[in-house]
Amino acid sequence: MRARHIMVVEDSDEDFDTVQDAARRSDMLHPIVRARSGGECLSLLRSSRGCRDPQTLLMLLDLNTPGDDGRAVLLAVRHDETLGTLPVVVLSASANARDRQFCYANGANAYHVKPVDHSLHLRLLQDIFAYWLVSVVLPA
Amino acid sequence: MSQPAKGNPPLPWGSGPYSIKRHGTTLATCDSEPIQTPGCIQAHGALLVLRLGDLKILQASENTLQHLGEHAWSLLGHPVARVVGAAREARLREMLARDALDAGPAFAFTLPARAGMAALDVCVHTSGGAAVLEFEGTGRAETRADEDFFMLVKAAVGRLQAPTSVRAFCQQVTQEVRAVTGLDRVMAYRFHADHHGEVIAESKRDTLDPWLGLHYPAADIPQPAREIFKRIWIRPLPDAAGPLVELVPLVNPDTGLALDMTHCALRGASVMYSEYLANMGVAASLTMPIMRDGELWGLIACHNYTTTHFSYEVRAACELLSQVASLKLKSAEQAEQLAYRLKLEDVHQLLVVRSAREGDLLALTAYEPSLLDAIDAGGAALYHLNRWWCVGSVPELAQLDQLAAWLHERPEFTSATRPVFVTDALASVCPAAVGLEDVASGLLATVFLRRRRGLLVWFRPQTMHTVKWAGNPNDKPQSPGPHGMRLSPRVSFETFIESVRGRSLPWSDIEVDAALRLRLLVLELVIARNERLADLNADLTRSNEELDAFAYVASHDLKEPLRGIHRYAHQLLEAAEAGSGDQAENLQRVESLMRLTLRMDSLLDSLLHFSRVGRMELELEAADLNGVVADAIEMTGARRSDSHCRIDVPRPLPVVQCDPVRVCEIYSNLLANALKYKRHAEAHIEVGYIGAGEAGARPNAPATTAGQDIFYVRDDGIGIDERHYEQVFRLFKRMHGRDEYGGGVGIGLTIVQKLVNRHGGRVWIDSSLGVGTTFYFTLPGARLGPG
Repeated sequence: MRARHIMVVEDSDEDFDTVQDAARRSDMLHPIVRARSGGECLSLLRSSRGCRDPQTLLMLLDLNTPGDDGRAVLLAVRHDETLGTLPVVVLSASANARDRQFCYANGANAYHVKPVDHSLHLRLLQDIFAYWLVSVVLPA
Repeated sequence: MSQPAKGNPPLPWGSGPYSIKRHGTTLATCDSEPIQTPGCIQAHGALLVLRLGDLKILQASENTLQHLGEHAWSLLGHPVARVVGAAREARLREMLARDALDAGPAFAFTLPARAGMAALDVCVHTSGGAAVLEFEGTGRAETRADEDFFMLVKAAVGRLQAPTSVRAFCQQVTQEVRAVTGLDRVMAYRFHADHHGEVIAESKRDTLDPWLGLHYPAADIPQPAREIFKRIWIRPLPDAAGPLVELVPLVNPDTGLALDMTHCALRGASVMYSEYLANMGVAASLTMPIMRDGELWGLIACHNYTTTHFSYEVRAACELLSQVASLKLKSAEQAEQLAYRLKLEDVHQLLVVRSAREGDLLALTAYEPSLLDAIDAGGAALYHLNRWWCVGSVPELAQLDQLAAWLHERPEFTSATRPVFVTDALASVCPAAVGLEDVASGLLATVFLRRRRGLLVWFRPQTMHTVKWAGNPNDKPQSPGPHGMRLSPRVSFETFIESVRGRSLPWSDIEVDAALRLRLLVLELVIARNERLADLNADLTRSNEELDAFAYVASHDLKEPLRGIHRYAHQLLEAAEAGSGDQAENLQRVESLMRLTLRMDSLLDSLLHFSRVGRMELELEAADLNGVVADAIEMTGARRSDSHCRIDVPRPLPVVQCDPVRVCEIYSNLLANALKYKRHAEAHIEVGYIGAGEAGARPNAPATTAGQDIFYVRDDGIGIDERHYEQVFRLFKRMHGRDEYGGGVGIGLTIVQKLVNRHGGRVWIDSSLGVGTTFYFTLPGARLGPG
């Protein structure tokens, strides 16, 4: 069985680098798959669908991506039979109330604001990995 | 004073004939006094009653010896020729046969002076089937004998031709009457609706105190006196305190009836009246009625402080003036009402125009002129938007609220066309107004926007506080007559005060109509204002939404490069601290830093530009779109040989009302977009329009653009998924990755939408992925010319 991967939806190269950096520091073994837009993410998910074993373990979702954005991805995931239980952690640039409300109402598992401070950003991502990949018992 | 009620004690004269001399009268019975049949005449003249058939003397005044040289009893039963001679008797017979003389005395002849007796003017009229002869001294020695009364009266009447107001007219009348009579004081006295009187014009000897503006209680002129003034044109009393003489016998022996003296110039005056005059120091009076539509409108009242003589000519002249005054009064009233109506209209228009300009109903009450300068009132109040705006003397706010609550219950307010409530005695109908009589005895109220309880209210204080009453206790007391001070304006004021307590001067129809018209004006104003508020609210909502969008992009899109900058700086710092780091890697980090600051800069520039586009004034003009599009093509560099595109304009574009600089920006953004998202090596772009009246498809056109020209920019590029038709216009929203299709911040279409909206237009998309996109937009400024 191939190692299950982490899906990271992120259009910003810098932010994606930070994710990789944090993964490295957390000694995370799961491979990271990047989607630069919501559309790309959805097509990646669709291509992997049908496999018995969903290959995606966790999704880090940036809300504001080009084209179909994080909201569209969240809706698509939550309306998909096989992906319905996939943990989705939203990473957004702001704590905008409407965005938060939207995400939790549509089944996001957590909502985080990306700090501008790079070390805080790194720590946040490491905390996320520690929590979702170590502390939490994920769906089967 | 009212008629005595049933069950009162019988009148002193019972069912027998009445004589002032014998029975006098008391205050309690003065409304019952038979003043047409007083049984007595004024002693300065003599009177004979003749049987019409044979002109024999039936009754004679008891003073005939003095004036006619024989005792009354010795004349009875003799033909009148015994007094006037056969020739004059024949003349009388002729007059009586020729004219109906029952409407007033006619001059018959002058009886020349005889031994010990002055010359006498003789007038004749008929009453109760008998001829009445009145003998009065000619007074020629006392009057200006050479005066041509015809000329005098003609000139006076001429001056009464063009009245402008009732007061001015009455002023002229009093002056003319005084000029003719030479009396000390001539007043025009007007009856109000409650019968109390007011001196509205006065011409007087300079040394006398003015009575102009004084109000007199209704009881000062008892009901029988008012009735008699409807039937006669003049009432002379040359010696008010002079003696009275009875007729002998007191009743007509043929009929057994007392003589009806309605038309007799010599008719004896009620003791009440002569005493009233004496108490005011008046020695002689001359009174003429002013009639309007058969009703007694007022009186011309003349006073003299010494006894006098009213010659037949003077009386005839005064009668004529009083008749002319009555005829002309109506046109004076009409002129005055028209002037008042126009003034009300003018002031109200001014108020509303000012309110419209100030955008505030406060203008109705806060400045000069205000609501109080039109309709004559003590105070006015306006209720609108949950508050009162007051001017002048009005009740306290809590009392106003109570009154308003009561008013809104009035059935009158449910009328669609005349929702007005009017009263001149508010406290008698509205319990909430008890105690407010000094401010709000009279009330004129109209409602507007009934659901929001808008009110326009005018207040009038009770009459007793607004007018100057004659007999004011501060005036100098007069010397009382036998009935004491009861017979003076002061005393009748005391008794009258009760009847006007809590009552205001009544509201005129003109005022009610003006209030209703003002209501309509205010209504228009309020409705217009509500519309403007709705517009402002819409503007505010829009700008709130824009502010939200602004805050959103500031937090999302501006933070993104900032985060990157912080990251590279952080890494550089770490590397420096470790004293390590790949030179090439650090160089790349610094380059990234610079790239991100430039991106930040362009995001900020775009944001500022977007913000300016929303706020700047459009400079609208008739612009030829062909030139505008040519400029836009030039700006995008699409004509350059290396641009790899072809732009067609299939037919000339029209001239439209727009800001050409902004419309050029619309086109350049759309063209730049088409050039950016091309599918082939060479892009094919079409710029055109669909005329408002032209047949043909108007794909996806919003219903609101019906009847408008639609402009379009069509490309054969990659196309836009229908799901993204709305999103592409969002600020900083990009459909593709940061560096795909030439990059960019995602502001072009946002600016296009803003500029089109600023022109009142709409922008929309028709597109197929892999085929191409058409951007449509409208510019609803009127199309000015053909393409």
